[in-house]
Amino acid sequence: MIRTRKTTKYLIRPVICTLLCLAILSVSANSSSRFERTYSPRGTAHLSISNVNGSIRVTAWDRKTIVARANADPSIAIEDQVLGDDITIWTRRNLSLGRANFEVSVPPETSLAIKNVIGKIELQNITGHVSVNSFDSDVHLVGIDSPSVDVRVTSGDIFFDGALHEGGSYNLQSMRGDLDVTLPSASPFNLNARALSENINLGSFLNNLTGSSRGPKGVSGTHLRGGPRLTLTAYAGRILLHKK
Amino acid sequence: MLCTECQGLISEYIDGALELGEQVKIERHLADCEPCRAVRDDLLQIVHFSHQLPEHAPATALWSRIREGVAELQPRFWSRWWAGLRTLNFNLSVPQLVAGAAALVIVISIAVIVSQRQNGSSQSVDPKVRQADVVPLSNVDVQQLEKQISRLSESVEERKNSWDPELRTAFERNLYYIDQSLAECRHQLKDNPADDVSQELMLNAYREKVRLLEGFEKF
Repeated sequence: MIRTRKTTKYLIRPVICTLLCLAILSVSANSSSRFERTYSPRGTAHLSISNVNGSIRVTAWDRKTIVARANADPSIAIEDQVLGDDITIWTRRNLSLGRANFEVSVPPETSLAIKNVIGKIELQNITGHVSVNSFDSDVHLVGIDSPSVDVRVTSGDIFFDGALHEGGSYNLQSMRGDLDVTLPSASPFNLNARALSENINLGSFLNNLTGSSRGPKGVSGTHLRGGPRLTLTAYAGRILLHKK
Repeated sequence: MLCTECQGLISEYIDGALELGEQVKIERHLADCEPCRAVRDDLLQIVHFSHQLPEHAPATALWSRIREGVAELQPRFWSRWWAGLRTLNFNLSVPQLVAGAAALVIVISIAVIVSQRQNGSSQSVDPKVRQADVVPLSNVDVQQLEKQISRLSESVEERKNSWDPELRTAFERNLYYIDQSLAECRHQLKDNPADDVSQELMLNAYREKVRLLEGFEKF
C-alpha cells in the first residue's frame, strides 16, 4: 500500500510538468508573431507592401521615419528589403493562408505601392503616388492629395475622398463593387466613367460637365477647365460622384 | 435555403439571371455547403471550357435545306395574308375616317418625340473627348489576350489543388465575376456590335482576367 502511494507521488510530478509544458507550447503556438521595423529614408521614400491575406493600413504622420508593424499568424514569414529610399515589405507566399495585418505610419509624401489578395486596404492623408492592386479588397482612400492614384480590385468597393492635381491621373476600377468618389466642388477634371451595370450617378457634377458624351454605360466630359484625368470603371457596381 | 432549391437555381445564378435577393441567398448557402459548391464549380468549369471551344458553322448543305424550307413557306404566308386583306370591309364612315387620321397623327408624333429623346441621350460630343474614349477592340488584341489567358489558366489549374481552400474559393469567386462581366459584354456587343463602351469594357475585362491569373499563378 505504502509502495503504491510512493509510486503515485513520484508519477504525479512529471505528469503535471509535462501537462504544463504542453499547455505553454500550445499557447505559444496559437499566439501571433509580430513584425516591427523603423526605416529612416534620406529623401522621398517609395514603400511597397505585398501581402496575401489581411488588412493593410497606411497613415501619414508628421515624422520623417517610416514605422511598419504587423501581427501575423505564426505560419506567416514577413520579410523586408531596403535599397536606398526604396523599402519593400512582403509576406512570403506559402500553402497555408495565414493572416498578416499591417499598420504603417509614413511621411505624407511617401509613394506607395500596395499589393494584396484578400483584405481591406486603408490609406490616409497620403500626398505621394498611390498604386493599389488587389483581388478581394475594399479600398478606402481618405484625405488623399496625390499626383497619381491607380486602384484596381476584382471584387470590393473603392472609396476615394481627396483632391486632384493639375495634370494628374486617377484610375479606379472594380469588377464587382461600387466606386464612391468625393471631390472638392471646384475640382476641374476630365472624366471618363464606365459602368457595365449602367449605374452612374455624377450628382451635381453633371451640371457643369461640358463637351460630354452621355450614354447609359458611359459618361465622358470636362468639368470646369479640365486637367486631371479621372477614369472610373465599374462592372457589377455603381459609380457615385459627390461634392465635398 | 435547401440544397435542392440552390441546385435548381444555380444555372441561372451562373448566368447572372437572378434577382439580387436570390443571388445573395444562394451565395450564403454556398458559403456553408460543400456539395453545392462542388456543383457550382463543376458548372463554372463547363461554362469556362465551353467558351474556349471553337465555333463550328453548319454545313453548306444544311443551310441550303433551310433556305429551301423558308422559300416554300413564304408564298403560302403572303397568299394567306392577301386573302385576309381582301375579305376586309373598307367602306368607312366619315367619323371613322377622322378617328383613323387622328390615331395616325398621334402615333407619328410619339415616334418623333421618342427618336428625339434617344438622340438627346448622346448629346453633342467634343471630338477630343470622344476620340480619347474610343479604344477599338481588334480581333488581334482579343486573340492575344485569349491565348495568354489560356496559357495562364493551364498553369493555375495545375497548382490550384494544392492551395488553401479559402484561397481557392477567393480565386474561383473572382474568376466567376470576371467571366460574368465578359459574358455580359459579349451579350451587349451581340446586340450592338458598334458599341464603343462595351468594346472598351470587354477589352478591360480580358486584361483584368489576365491580372487575376497572373496574380494567382505565383501561388
